Parts: sequence; structure tokens; C-alpha cells
Amino acid sequence: MPSNRMDTGGRIDRDRPLNFTFNGRRLQGFAGDTLASALLANRVRLTARSFKYHRPRGIIGAGVEEPSTLVELLGDDASGNRPATTVPLRDGLIAKSVNCWPSPGFDLGAINQLIGRFIPAGFYYKTFKWPGWHLYEPTIRKAAGLAAAPAAPPEQGHFENRFAHCDLLIAGAGPAGLMAASTAGRAGLRVMIADEATEAGGSLLNRRLTIGGTPALGWVKAVVDELATLPNVTHLQNATVWAYREHNYLMVNERAPDNPSLLERNWRVRAGQVICATGAIERMLVFGNNDRPGVMLASAAQTYVNRYGVRPGQRAVVFTNNNSAYAVAADLTAAGITVAAIIDSRTDVPEEARTLVEDVDVLAGHVVTGARGARQVRGVTIAPVDGGASRQITCDLLAHSGGWNPAVHLWSQSRGNLRYDDTLTSFLPDQAAQDATSVGATNGQMTLADALGSGARAGADAAGITMPDIPTSADLIYAVTPLWRVEQGRDKAFLDIQNDVTVDDVHLALREGYDNVEHVKRYTTGGMGIDQGKTGNINIIGTVAMQQGAPLEELGTTTFRSPYTPVSFGAIGGLREDSVVLPYRHTPLTAWNIKNGAFMYESGARWRRPGYFPQPGESFQETVNRECRIVRNGVGVYDGSPLGTFEFKGRDVGRFLDHIYTNIMSTLKPGHGRYGLMLSDDGLIIDDGVALRLSEHRWIVSTSTGHADAMNSHFEELLQTQFPDWNVFVTTVTSQWNNATICGPLARDVMQALGTDIDISPAALPFMGFADGHVAGIPARLVRVSFTGELSFEVNVAPRHLPALWDKIMTAGAPFGIAPIGSEANHVLRVEKGFLSLGHEVDGTVDPYDLGLGWAMSKKKTDYLGKHAVAIRRSGTTNRRELVGILPEPDQMIPEGAPLTPGGERKPTEGLVTACVYSTVHDRWVGLALLENGHSRHGETVRARLKDKVIAARVTPPIHYDAAGERLRS
Amino acid sequence: MLYDVQIDRLPCFALFDLKGPATDLAAWADVLPAFAKPANTLTRQNGVDLCFTGPDRWILRADIAREDALIAALRPEKAPPEISITRVSDTLTFFRITGPDAAQVMSIGCPLDLHDSAFGPDAVSYSEFFGLKALVMRCEGGFDCAVEQSFGDMVADYLSRATA
Repeated sequence: MPSNRMDTGGRIDRDRPLNFTFNGRRLQGFAGDTLASALLANRVRLTARSFKYHRPRGIIGAGVEEPSTLVELLGDDASGNRPATTVPLRDGLIAKSVNCWPSPGFDLGAINQLIGRFIPAGFYYKTFKWPGWHLYEPTIRKAAGLAAAPAAPPEQGHFENRFAHCDLLIAGAGPAGLMAASTAGRAGLRVMIADEATEAGGSLLNRRLTIGGTPALGWVKAVVDELATLPNVTHLQNATVWAYREHNYLMVNERAPDNPSLLERNWRVRAGQVICATGAIERMLVFGNNDRPGVMLASAAQTYVNRYGVRPGQRAVVFTNNNSAYAVAADLTAAGITVAAIIDSRTDVPEEARTLVEDVDVLAGHVVTGARGARQVRGVTIAPVDGGASRQITCDLLAHSGGWNPAVHLWSQSRGNLRYDDTLTSFLPDQAAQDATSVGATNGQMTLADALGSGARAGADAAGITMPDIPTSADLIYAVTPLWRVEQGRDKAFLDIQNDVTVDDVHLALREGYDNVEHVKRYTTGGMGIDQGKTGNINIIGTVAMQQGAPLEELGTTTFRSPYTPVSFGAIGGLREDSVVLPYRHTPLTAWNIKNGAFMYESGARWRRPGYFPQPGESFQETVNRECRIVRNGVGVYDGSPLGTFEFKGRDVGRFLDHIYTNIMSTLKPGHGRYGLMLSDDGLIIDDGVALRLSEHRWIVSTSTGHADAMNSHFEELLQTQFPDWNVFVTTVTSQWNNATICGPLARDVMQALGTDIDISPAALPFMGFADGHVAGIPARLVRVSFTGELSFEVNVAPRHLPALWDKIMTAGAPFGIAPIGSEANHVLRVEKGFLSLGHEVDGTVDPYDLGLGWAMSKKKTDYLGKHAVAIRRSGTTNRRELVGILPEPDQMIPEGAPLTPGGERKPTEGLVTACVYSTVHDRWVGLALLENGHSRHGETVRARLKDKVIAARVTPPIHYDAAGERLRS
Repeated sequence: MLYDVQIDRLPCFALFDLKGPATDLAAWADVLPAFAKPANTLTRQNGVDLCFTGPDRWILRADIAREDALIAALRPEKAPPEISITRVSDTLTFFRITGPDAAQVMSIGCPLDLHDSAFGPDAVSYSEFFGLKALVMRCEGGFDCAVEQSFGDMVADYLSRATA
């Protein structure tokens, strides 16, 4: 097979051949190749189809700027839309082109080229409006052809996220970045330097330059070796600084960490200072058919011959408006490529540029008006820049350079300003918004000497040391005359290759009134997607400027967004997948619950709790019914550990509790507890719970499980902002006091069987009482509260003792038929009793009166949180939704949340069903609802309107069971 | 294990949450080590660590075998209202991460700067560990990191994944 591989040269290992497959063809490259360089070496020129028009495309760049050849990797490397220029070749790599079917050579989508004039920019905004864009979106996305995400995660390895801190983060390990790292590293700063390429050196890898009189790559190696010896320096290659957030917080995507179990690592770096040494990206020239395979950025052609030992063509034409392409022409010539001519749009070519290519024909004041050839460039048409006779030159490679755009993406992400520089005809970093600076080509220092000097200066400034000596270097002076587009020719001239945006598209946007660059971007999609304006952005702005006759500095740029280059979702997510994708909390009984067949799920605040304990052959409903009967008729026990619990201490606790609760707490005597409601400052219920007074200045306050953290913040906010002088300390003890709650008419029997030194008689330990002592020999606090409506003993112990206590309860309770119950049965029991539940009846709209808890609103206290808001709200005439009970008629379940509408008709709702459960006590479905003026509507029939039917329900008081509360007080 | 670390889930410590002015706390309980001056540092005395975690906020840590003795000495229930002493031994689960790569493993979960120059041998601080509030301090050859006890299994899960 003919090859474009040079016999010598490049940074590849010819002793390590690698086999790979591209679009089904088996090919071979070498270690050190990218997929792109290996394809070019194998003379694969047609590598892709364009996004919209499905025009044939080839490889255009050599690095992250590649806008054309996106590939999908298969097998172990499965990933989508990877620029072929950034895919390191490995043995067995399998890749295929995107945007084409069945292949780039024969692509059915190419029919779009025939209808291209009917599908200009924005056509879909105008065309696919009825009945809605989303009807068409799937088909259009499929037609666009970008690769899908891998169907399954990698079989081996995982992603990692880690935090890092440094005094100085340097983005880019080119000459400026390395110089800065070396200077600051020697001075002892904690330096992190990250570079997107697989090896350090930046542009020095692609060019033939010297530093200190020897090849520049020798200097690179010496610096890299020295950095490796400095313990204060972290040097990452194949690691892109892809995002710059606030407070010098940056993201670095390391694609090949040295830990073999890692697929990728994402660093979250907090840096004291940042140096942007991100180099510059060559911009394209805009002329007819500037997207044909074989039309390549000049710097890319230079990279392929110098770094990869690949000739991207045999006979080249170089088209430029600046000096840098002359060095390219010299390198192409040295690599054995015939450079047919240099077409320079400038009429005056600097002599120092000409001297590099004395044997090459330089046509100054000329432009390429178009490329010839469809699947591969076969020649170019050239003409004088100001018009005149054209002629053609045969070639198979057109290397073009429209100048250099400093890679200001990171700088822009940091919110630093940009300014337009007339000399460089591009935008440069200006005012910093954070502690950052830019060096080298990023800052417009385009020669090697300037890059080294600016890097050293920035490193020295960061370290607070004097400027070190700079090694000597020689480089061609950079000079450019802008050429925003070649106006001759009728063929499509592309501004944004990746998004298929042409000059005509921008003109159309301007004609339709989208004359701001941000609007042009959105109308045309130019600069969007993976490309993020790397090659086309400035040309688009230049085209707008030309058309409007406005200077570029007045137009400004669009916003550069992160990520600078694509980042795997896995790298962003890190370890957080599978079992840890969401946080979870366990109680000391979780293992017991699982072992005993509990069906576990999260039930608030990330606690995984047993929903129910099914026995063999039982349905869900049968299990819940059984557990309910056990509690109503015998005795059950549940794990109440997650209940939010706080210890309050201080002289002012009483008045603080009086402020946050609606009822009076300060009058409680030590040894007693009281139920209370807490309101927000707008008078709505935010939580309920029980306060226990341990002693004069010590209290225990319980909150709902789900709101424990929020209530803790609530307490602290009040104490720190409104009552900073009050003597109140709050300590979270949720996980210091776990509890097993024994409930049911036989609960006292089980307590006695367990053995306790606490007098548990109704007189000594009444409802809402508590006492400290021992239960089953374990130090415990016994609390008489009830969430089921039955006689209950909440046995609170230290978590380390809970498993032992639980085992003893199960043993002591066995003669009484005790059984564990889950959250589902608890829910049924509290609905029967009409107890409120946050998230159900307390839905963020109700106050205590709505729930029939007006008795809890103190009339004696002059003020408390939410009091006046409740009064103001209730002084109006708005109908309130009030808590009622419902009995579905006929007897059936009504889904929670079902709307109640007048007559069941399609009208504004008058309430909703908050809960509906099967009551074993009544042997029927019972429920709770919030209903407009519900307290005065007992006995009425309301209707729940469902999607497919209407269910009637009789309105009742909300307490379906033991309205007098005799059982829980027993 | 590709990180050279040892990860141990430690048994329960005797822990006490102390709040209030240091002078009042010191006056109430003479078993306490000297109160550290710089915030986010700890002092050690006779096997008892006193961690200065915030304004008027301290965590006392000792071996669990000393819990009863410390309760007797600290008398939480009798302490004057100007201070708060609460036993919180069961609220935190400690993980000990030691070995050459301990700092690397810590950096996966903890955003704190744990470099020697920023987090010295007597440093202690509340921070985060895998997104959870965590108490972090140094130990011989590595770090101790404590999270709310109920999250212990999840953190063990995370650490297992991190070092797999």
C-alpha cells in the first residue's frame, strides 16, 4: 500500500507498529501517531462528511482545533465525536466517521448538497414551527449524524475526581508555560502545570527551532526533567484545563492518569494565581471550497511532517496573509514536498520571510479564489487580490494560514476582558478579572524569544523573585495583514467548518436583522458546539465587520464557554455512580432489616428505611395490612432512629423555643414534654415535633426526619442573626440517640418483659412524659410519644447499643407476637389517626388553623415566629384549604395528590387528596384531604378528578380512629 | 489496591461537643487539655485531643474506654448555662487513611488543602468528605476523617471505589 510516511523524522516509534481499523479498513500506524496522522500516512484523505450539507471533508488541523474529522470510537475506547487529531493511536483501535451513512465515500446524506440553497442558516427556525420543533428534532438529529453516547459504561476502570491546591496553575506547557513553571518551581512555589498534548513543548513539537543554539526540544526535555525533580511541582500532560470558574477555581481533565485503574481524572484546582499559556490557534482563510479534503491549516501540515513524519501531500500550494506560513513552506520543502507556490495576499512580503524559501515561487498580492476537486483537492484557482485574470495551479495539498488567534478561551471564561489588536488582527487578553495573567502567544507574544521572556517574567512575578536569564532563540518575526474573506468566486466559502456556516449564512443573518455577533452566532450556529470558535470565530466577526463597515473592536467577541474541549461526563461525575450516585444513610439496624427481608427504600433525608417486611406469599397490601393489625391489636416495633434530635442548652432556651414554636414551651417543667408546631416567618408550617425539658437549662427538641438539617439551619440562622446575644447552644444529637419504638396495646407488657428500672405505669410515665434509666440493662431514655395512635414507648439509646436492644425486644416481645413494622404501616396508622405529615398535609401552603391545630396557636404569647403573618392572612376573605377526612364511595383507593374539583368537572380545583390508605380498623379505604372550607363541609360529597374517571368521597372529620386519644394515653 | 494506602474504619471514640468561652469551659473541667489559640488546631494531653473547630466550639476526643470517666469529670448535666457539654460519641464515624498515598485518596473526597504547609500536624477542621460534612485531622502517617455516623457505610463504599 502506498504510504505518505517519511523514512525518517518525527516523534514516532517506527519499531512499534500499531494496527487499527477505520471505517472497516485495517490500517497500520506507529506508536506516537494520532489517528489523524496515521490516516494521512495511509493516504486516507476523505475522512468525514460535513454536519449539514454532508460535503466531503478531510483532516484540517493537527490538534484540538480540528473542526472536521470527528470520529466515533468503538470497543474498549467507546466514545463519540472525538477529533481524530486528538485520538492517540493504540493497537486495536476501532474508529468510524460520523455524519455519514454508510460511509464517507458514499453518503446518502450528500443529497443535502443538491438542496443546499433551500436550507440556509436558520431555515429550521422558520420551517419546523408547527406543531412544534420537538416533532422534527429526532429526525433532524439523526440526519445530522453525530455519534451517540456509548450504550454501556466501560467494563473496566473508573473515573476519578480530585481536589488540588497550588500557588500557581499554569495552563499550557509550551515554551512560555514551561519557562514560567521552571522559574516559579525553582523559587519554591507549589506549581501545577497542565498541558493538553501528550507531551510537553507546545508549538516547539511542530516546528524546527533552536533554543540556546541547540534544537528546542532538547531544552524542553531538560526543563521537563528538572520539573520532575521538584517536589513542589505537579506536571500533567494529556490534561486540559477546560474550565475557569470563580475564585481561581479551575478544572483539569487528565485523560491518561498514571493509575491503571483510572479511565480519566478530573482535577478541581484552587489556584493562588493562574498563568494562561494556552498558545494560539491558526485561523483559516475564507475562499471557495475551502473545506475540500486536502485543504489544511498550514501549521497542521507543518506538524504532520515535523512531528509525525507524514507528508500530507506531494505537491502543495501555500496560501497566506502572514509570515508564519513561510516557515511552513520551508519545512514542507525540507520534507520532500514540492511547494508549487506561495500565494500571499499581501503585496509586500517581508524579506525575512522570503529568505526562508528562496527556491519557491512567491505570488504576492494574490489570493486563492477557489479549490478544485470534490473528494480531494486537485488544484487551486488563483487571481490577483484586487481582481484580474485567474489561473490554476495543480496540487494535492493546499496549506493555508489566515493568521493566528491567541487562545483566549480560558481567559475569557475567567471573565477577563479582551481587546482588539490591530497589529495582530485579533483579540488579546486585557484586564484580568481574577488573579491571572497571560503569556506567550496567548498574550500576543508571537516569537519564541518573546514567549520565553513573558513566561519567565510571569513566573518570577508570581514567586516575587527577579527575572532569570532567558536562553537565546531565533524565530521569524510575525507580521500579518488581515484577509477576512476572498470575495471572488461563487463556491461556498466556509467560516465555521464544523457547523457548516458559510459567508452567505452570515450575510443572511445580517439581512434579517441579527447584526450583533451574539445574534449572528445563534442564528447561524457559528462558533457553537465542540468547536467553540477555535478556527472560525474571528473570521465570522471579521465578515460581520466587513459587511457593516464597522471596526472589529466595536463588535467584540461572543462568549467563550467551558469546556474548552469536550470532557467525558464520567470525568465530571467521578466516582459518583452506581450505589453512590445518591447519598444514603443507614441506621445501626439496616443490616438486621435487610437480613430479615425488609423492602428498603429512601424515606426522607437520604435515610434508607424498611418500607415493609413481606412474608412468603404475601402481597404488598397483605403485608401492610398485617403490620397494621399487629400494632392495633398486639404490639409492633419500628426503628425510629432517623428522627431529628437536638440538644438545646442555655439560659435563654425557653424564650427561644417560645419564639420558634406556636405554643408556649417555657412553662414546661423538667421531666415533661410538649408537642408543638413551628412556622416560617410567613406563617406557614415548616415542622412539628416534641420538646422535652431535661433540666432548667437543658432541652431535647425533636424535628421531623426529613427536615432535620433544614431546621438545624433555621435555629442557627435565628440565633446568629436575630438573637446573637441570647445564651442558647444547639447541638445535633440525631445520631447520638437512636430509638426503637414499641407500639400497640401490648407495648407495656413487652416493656415489662424487657425489664426496666423506670416506672412505666401510666401515672408515673404518662403520655408526653419521659424518664432516664435502663431498659434491658442498657442506658436509655424512655419517651411516651406516639406516631401511630397507640400506646408507645420510644426507647432511646446510644446507637452502639441499638442492635443489642433490638434483639432483646424481639426476644422479649416474641411471646406477645411482636413484629417489626415498616414505613408503609406507619403511614397507614398515622393517616387513620389524622396525624399530619410533612410533604403530605403540610404542603407549604397551610397554617395550623387549616389543619385543625388552632389550639396550638398561643393566645398568651405577645409574639412568636409567624404569628402576625397568620393573622394577616386569615383576616382576608380567601377560602382556605382545610384538613378533612374522606371516605371514597364506592370504596376504592384514590391516588395521593388527586385533585378535587367541583362536581368532578374540569374546573379549578377546590382541594386535593393528601393520603389514602386501606384501614384494617374500618376494613375500607380512608383518606385525608385539603379542601376549601373543609371544616364546614363534613358530610358533603366531593369528587376526585382523575385522568380516566371521577371518584366520589364523603367528607368526614380527619381523625378516623380513636378520636378521644384514649389509646395513646393508656 | 492501586493507591498505596490503608483504610480503617475506627471503632467509636469518646467524643464531647463543647460550646462556650474557653475560660468558662476550662474553669468547669480541669481534665481538658490546654485550649489551642489558633483556630482549627488541636491540643493533646494524656490521650485526649481538644479540637478548636470554630468560635467557642470544640470537640473533645479520647479512647472510648475513657467515656465514663470523662462524663464523670465533665458533668454535662450539671454544667452552668454559659457552657454546653454534650456527649456525641456515637454521632461520628472515623476513617483512618494512612500510607504513602493517603493525601491522594483524601483529595478525592476532601476539598481542603491538606498540604503540609497549609494543614500542619496539629491542624483540624470541619470540611467535606464526598460531599458530606466531615471533621478532618492528621494522624500518624495520614489522616483521620469523621463523618456523621449514619453516612459511614456510604463513605466506606466511596473509599472502596476510590481505591479499587
